[in-house]
Amino acid sequence: MNRVIVIGAGPAGLSAAITIAENGYEVLILDEYMLAGGRLLGQLYEEENGKWWNGIKESKSLHDKAVALGIEIRLGTPVSNIEKLDGSWVIYTDEETYYTSHLLLATGAAEVPLSIPGWTLPGVMSVGAAQVMTNVHRVKPGNRGVIIGVNVLSSAIAMELKLADIDVAAITLPKMNQVTKESGNPMDVMNSLLHVSHMAPSAFVKFGSKLMKNEFMKKMGITFFPKKGVKMWDIPIMLRKAVINIYGKDAVEGVTIATISASGEVIEGTEETISADFVCIAGGLYPLAELAAIAGCPFYYIEELGGYVPLHNERMETVLDGLYVAGNITGVEGAKVAISQGVAAGLAIANSFSGGKHEVVIQEAIQTIGRTRDEAFIQFHPDVKEGKEKLQRYFEEYGQEVKVGVTG
Amino acid sequence: MSENKMIICRCEEVTYGELKNTAETYNCSARELKLRTRAGMGYCGGRTCRSMVDSIAHASVERDVTQVTLKYQPPIRPVSFGSLGGVTK
Amino acid sequence: MTSRIIHHPVLDKVDETDIVSFKFNDTVLTGLRNESLAAALLANNIRTLRVHEESGTPRGIYCNIGHCFECRVNVNGQQGVRACLTPVEEGMTVSSGEKFLTSVKDWRSNNE
Repeated sequence: MNRVIVIGAGPAGLSAAITIAENGYEVLILDEYMLAGGRLLGQLYEEENGKWWNGIKESKSLHDKAVALGIEIRLGTPVSNIEKLDGSWVIYTDEETYYTSHLLLATGAAEVPLSIPGWTLPGVMSVGAAQVMTNVHRVKPGNRGVIIGVNVLSSAIAMELKLADIDVAAITLPKMNQVTKESGNPMDVMNSLLHVSHMAPSAFVKFGSKLMKNEFMKKMGITFFPKKGVKMWDIPIMLRKAVINIYGKDAVEGVTIATISASGEVIEGTEETISADFVCIAGGLYPLAELAAIAGCPFYYIEELGGYVPLHNERMETVLDGLYVAGNITGVEGAKVAISQGVAAGLAIANSFSGGKHEVVIQEAIQTIGRTRDEAFIQFHPDVKEGKEKLQRYFEEYGQEVKVGVTG
Repeated sequence: MSENKMIICRCEEVTYGELKNTAETYNCSARELKLRTRAGMGYCGGRTCRSMVDSIAHASVERDVTQVTLKYQPPIRPVSFGSLGGVTK
Repeated sequence: MTSRIIHHPVLDKVDETDIVSFKFNDTVLTGLRNESLAAALLANNIRTLRVHEESGTPRGIYCNIGHCFECRVNVNGQQGVRACLTPVEEGMTVSSGEKFLTSVKDWRSNNE
């Protein structure tokens, strides 16, 4: 028996490692960031019960629990490659090469950009970058910002910026083109937001004061969205405006916006400027599965899960022997789902060592993932469950094909 | 700045216009689009622009949902020649 | 000017007493121990971390978690170090990457 290796010290990786260690097996976690917690670190929102979900505290408690169990966590350690050699997974980092029979990939998600003319100027950053700067490093990304991209993630982070006393001048759309697509189409954006509002609990319903949200949803429902936008936590949300340019000499000085039609076409002559010293790009998240890809996992594109995901089953096993996945690499969802997936992956690994003694608890863990998903406070895609079902079907079909291949 | 001059691949400074023209001229796959323009072949390994390069290619060619259209290649993080050769500085 | 968020309505107060000094492009700056170089530079109102090797356009942090490599700088003589992932240390010498003297892209377009 050897030491299990987990790549990624986010909620999924930490909870998996904790589960593995609790079952009596050794674990090593590798992560390239300087702190444990992954994207969980930046999260900060008020839950239904009025308690704050504080990503820094949640991360610390997972980290401390892992350390107390004797788990080694090597931070600042980027993995550049993995491969299977002589029945063992080989993990390459700058300093060292590691070997293991059981490898868990919990590498999370990366942000999808929306390209805007001028977006390489210093001061333009992904919305997640602004979140980390504000909540984790506690440095203001700027004094006055514009957020491009209206979605669950950008609304949540806009509120976090306000909380830190940073002025958000507007949340608005990118100009529609072949890369921004639905993100630049007011009707598509409004529909996706209304879809969110139908969910209970809904991110939009939960954030902000109750009065504001009802007013907000009422306004969202109308076809003629006010040109000046509606306000949420005092931030104008402009669905009938798009940023057509980000300007500045050596850094962001502001953005040019224009009025757009309900289908996203720019109306000539409506250009105006908003001064700002930072701009956030919020195109959403996609599963960061590059290590699974170079390992040779089969992949499927599932829009509901945020993009290409490595084929895996409910036990978080990929089709490659000894390779497991958990967290956002399996589809973009919240941290609590990631934690529950980490538990399932950890048990699946323990089960492999114990020769099947963990079957019952694995089934319970799978149930917990489903329940956590149903109760999720933030849902990145309204049809994530359908996405998971699609993946399950692909997995079963793949198993059938492999069997046919073996017997035939 | 005109939209065609807008940068898609930040590492290699490949523009929207260049990618769109290449996609229209060759009616090619995302992979071919990448190889022809170098979009996604720079320092970050295409982590930032891959979804956009993918979108431009799939405006004219249908997406294959059963495999990653822009293949990942190791190393996924830049490795210095010193580290590759096992030589320490 | 950007500034630090010392007091926050929900999060703990930041300890701003443990200071380190480091050098960025020959200017001596201060940062807080264990914060990222990217955060320390931004707290000093420095947004441009490098210029693009070919075009010389200024670049700063983009993803802030190590994915995009836009914030890469030279640290103590080592190239390509991501400022967003590197804790600032006392006495660190940091410098921006510079524009190449000859453009590879120009060569390509003239020789294909």
